[in-house]
Amino acid sequence: MVDLYQSKRNLVTYILTLFVVTLFALWLRHLDMESSWQKAGMINFSIGFVLLLAYMSAQILKIARLPLISGYIIVGIIVGPYVSGFLTNDMISRFGFINDVALSFIALTAGGALHLQALKKRRKSIVLNILFLTLLVFGFVFVFFVFMGSNFSFTRNLSSVQVIAFAVLIGVVAVARSPSSAIAIISESRASGPFTETVLGVTVAMDVFVIVLFTVALTVARVILGGSGMMDTQVFMAVFMEMAVSFFFGALLGKGISFYVDRIRHDLPLFLLFLAFGVSKISMWSDNFMINCFDIHLHLEPLLICMSAGFVVQNFSKTRAYFMESLESVSLPVYVLFFSLAGASLNFDALRLCWLLTLCLAVVRVAGIFCATWLAGTVAGDLSLHNRSAWMAYLTQAGVAIGLAQIAEREFPEIGMYLTTVILALIFVNQVIGPVTFKAVLNLVGEAKIR
Amino acid sequence: MNLLDTETLKGLEPVGALLLGWIGLLFGFQFEIVKLRRFPLDFFKAAILESFLTFALVFFGVYYTLPLFFEIPEVRHIVLSLTLSAAAACTAQTGLALLSPNFTAQHQKTLGFLRYVSSIDGFSALLIFGVVFFFRKSSMTGISWVGDLALGTAFLLVISAGLVFLYIVFMSSHRDESELALVVIAMAVLTSGVASILHFSPLVANFFIGFCLVNLCRQKERLFKILVGVEKPVYLLLLVFLGAYWKLDSMWLIVLAAVYCLYRFIGKLFAGFMVTRLSPGLSSYPSHLGFGLLAQGGFPWPSCLISSRVFPVIFLPA
Repeated sequence: MVDLYQSKRNLVTYILTLFVVTLFALWLRHLDMESSWQKAGMINFSIGFVLLLAYMSAQILKIARLPLISGYIIVGIIVGPYVSGFLTNDMISRFGFINDVALSFIALTAGGALHLQALKKRRKSIVLNILFLTLLVFGFVFVFFVFMGSNFSFTRNLSSVQVIAFAVLIGVVAVARSPSSAIAIISESRASGPFTETVLGVTVAMDVFVIVLFTVALTVARVILGGSGMMDTQVFMAVFMEMAVSFFFGALLGKGISFYVDRIRHDLPLFLLFLAFGVSKISMWSDNFMINCFDIHLHLEPLLICMSAGFVVQNFSKTRAYFMESLESVSLPVYVLFFSLAGASLNFDALRLCWLLTLCLAVVRVAGIFCATWLAGTVAGDLSLHNRSAWMAYLTQAGVAIGLAQIAEREFPEIGMYLTTVILALIFVNQVIGPVTFKAVLNLVGEAKIR
Repeated sequence: MNLLDTETLKGLEPVGALLLGWIGLLFGFQFEIVKLRRFPLDFFKAAILESFLTFALVFFGVYYTLPLFFEIPEVRHIVLSLTLSAAAACTAQTGLALLSPNFTAQHQKTLGFLRYVSSIDGFSALLIFGVVFFFRKSSMTGISWVGDLALGTAFLLVISAGLVFLYIVFMSSHRDESELALVVIAMAVLTSGVASILHFSPLVANFFIGFCLVNLCRQKERLFKILVGVEKPVYLLLLVFLGAYWKLDSMWLIVLAAVYCLYRFIGKLFAGFMVTRLSPGLSSYPSHLGFGLLAQGGFPWPSCLISSRVFPVIFLPA
C-alpha cells in the first residue's frame, strides 16, 4: 500500500517536473544567442536537460515495466532533430566524442561481464547460436531481398546485379547485434544465469565476428559489381592484424587496470573514464599516424580494446569485484547519455523513405533469429522455454551496423545510399523494439532479479 | 601532441560546464550557516575585508600596469583587471596543509583563523567575478551596467531559486547513489548552461544553489559526499582544460605575471596587517598574518577558465 502510494506520488512528481523543465527549455530556446559563450551554454543546457528528461521519462516507463533504456531512447527521439529539433544534427555530431567515450566505457562493462568459466560451460550453446544466427539470418534476409527487393519502390531502380550485392551486404549487417544495449538491460535487470551468459557471450562474439564477415561480404560485393575479380588476401590480413593488435592492447590495458587497482585504487571510476577517453583518442590518433608516417591503414578498434581489457580484469585478476563495482557506480549517467544520444541519432527520414521494406526486413530478420536460436538450443539440449523465447534477446542493433553501412556507402556509392537508408531505418525499428523484448525474455526465463 | 585539439575541446564543452558547476556547488556547500555561526562574526568580517583590500590593491596595480606592457581595448582592460584582482583575492589552504604537526600544535589558534579566512575569502572574489559578466554585457550594448546589475541579480536569484526547487523535488524521495550522482551531474551542467545563456557566471549560479541546498535540503550530507568524493579529479581535469586553452601570446606576459605576483604579495600582507589592526577582537593575532594567506588556488582556476572562454583578450605590444 505504501509502495503504491509512493509510486503514484513519484509519477505525479515526475510528470509535473517534466512539464516545468520542458516549458523552461522552450523559453530558453527562444532567446537570442549573440555570443559563442551563449551558444556553448545552450549546448550545455541541452545535455543537462536531456539527461534529466531521459532519467524522469525512464522512471515513468519503469512503472509500465518497460526497460529504462527504452525511456532514454524515446526521449532521444523526441528531443532529436526529426521530432522537436531541440538537439540539432550539429549538436549531436559535437557530442560524438563524448559518445565514443561512453561506448568504450560500456565495452569495458561488456568485457567485464564475460566469465570464462561460465562461457566454457555454455561453449556448445554459444558456438551453435553463432553458427546458426550467422547462416540463417544472413540466408533469410539474402533470399528475401534477392526475390522481393525489386518489388519495393525504394529499391526498384537497382539492377539485378546490384540487388544481389545489396542483399549480401544487408544480410551481413542483419547479423550484427548491440552489445551496449544487451549489457545495459542485463545490468538494469541484475540478470544472471545460463540464458543470460549465453546471450551475452553470443552478442559480444558476434560483434567481433561480424567485422570479419563484413570484410568477406565487401569482397564478394566488389566481385559481383565488377570491380576486382579476385579475393584480396591483403584485406583479410589487415582485418586480422587490426583485431589482433586491438586484442593485444586490450589485454595490456586490462593488466594495467589490475595493477592500478592493486597499487593505487583511488578514484577508479574516474580512472576508467579517463582510460575510455584515452582509448578513443589514441585510436583516432594512431589511425592518422599510421597512414601519415607509414602509409598503412591500421585501425585500432576501441570497442575491441575495451572489451578485451574488461575481460582480462574479470578473468585474470583478483580485483574483479572492485572493478565491476566501480564500473557500476558510474554506469547510470553513461547509459542515460549514450542511449539518449543514440535515440536522437535514429533517422526518421530514412524510416519515412523505406518504411515498408524496413518492416518486411525486420520481420524476416526476426524469423531468421527465431529459427536459428530454436535450432541451436535444440541441438545443444537447452531448456525448451529458452529455445522458444531466445529470439527476443537478439533483436537490438546499433553502432556497429551503422559503421558497417557507412563503410559500404564509401565503397559502393552506386548502392551505398540505398543501403545506408535501409540499415538506418532497420536499426530504428530494432532499437525501439529490441530492448523491450530483451527485458521481457529475461523476466520470462526467470533470470532477472529486478522486474 | 594535439590530443586535445580544438574539435575535441569543443566536444568536451559539457565536461567543462560540469567542472565549473561542480566547483560552484562545492564552494556553496562551505557556507552552511549553522557551521559558520560556530565562529565569531569578527572572523567573517575579517575574511571579507581581507579579500576586498587585496582585490582593491591588485586591481589598481594591474589596471595601471597593463597599458605599460600591452595595448588592449578599454572594456577588456577593465574586465581583465577585475578578473585578475578577483582571482588574487582568493586564498587556498594548501600552504596550511603542508605545515609540520609541531608547528600546527604550537599555533593552533592562528591556524584556525587562517583556515577560516582561506575558505571564506573566495566569496567576495566570486561576487566580483559575477559582476564582471554584467559589465561585459552592458559595455557591449552601451546600456548602463548598474541598472543591468540590479535587474540581473534579481533575475539570477529567481532562476536559481527555481533550480533549487527542482533539486529539492528530486531529493524528496529516496534515490540510490548512482541516481543521485546523475541528478547532480545533470543539474550542474544544466545550471552552468542556463547561466551562460543568461549572461551570469556559472560559478555564481551554482554557488547560490549549493548555498541554498546546504541550508535547506535534508539530504545535504549525501549530496556533499558525492560532490567531495571527486573533488581532486575535478580540479585535476580543470587544470588539464586550462593547460589546453593556455597560450603564450607574448613573452612580456611572463614579466606581467611576475608583477601580478608582486602586487598580490603586497596586497595580502597589507590586508593581513589591516584586519588585525582594524578589528579589536582580532588584535591578538600576528600582524604579519598575510604571510599565511599567500597560497593561491581553487577558485582562481575556474574563473581563469571562464575568463579565457568569455573574454578572449588579444595582446598587442604597447
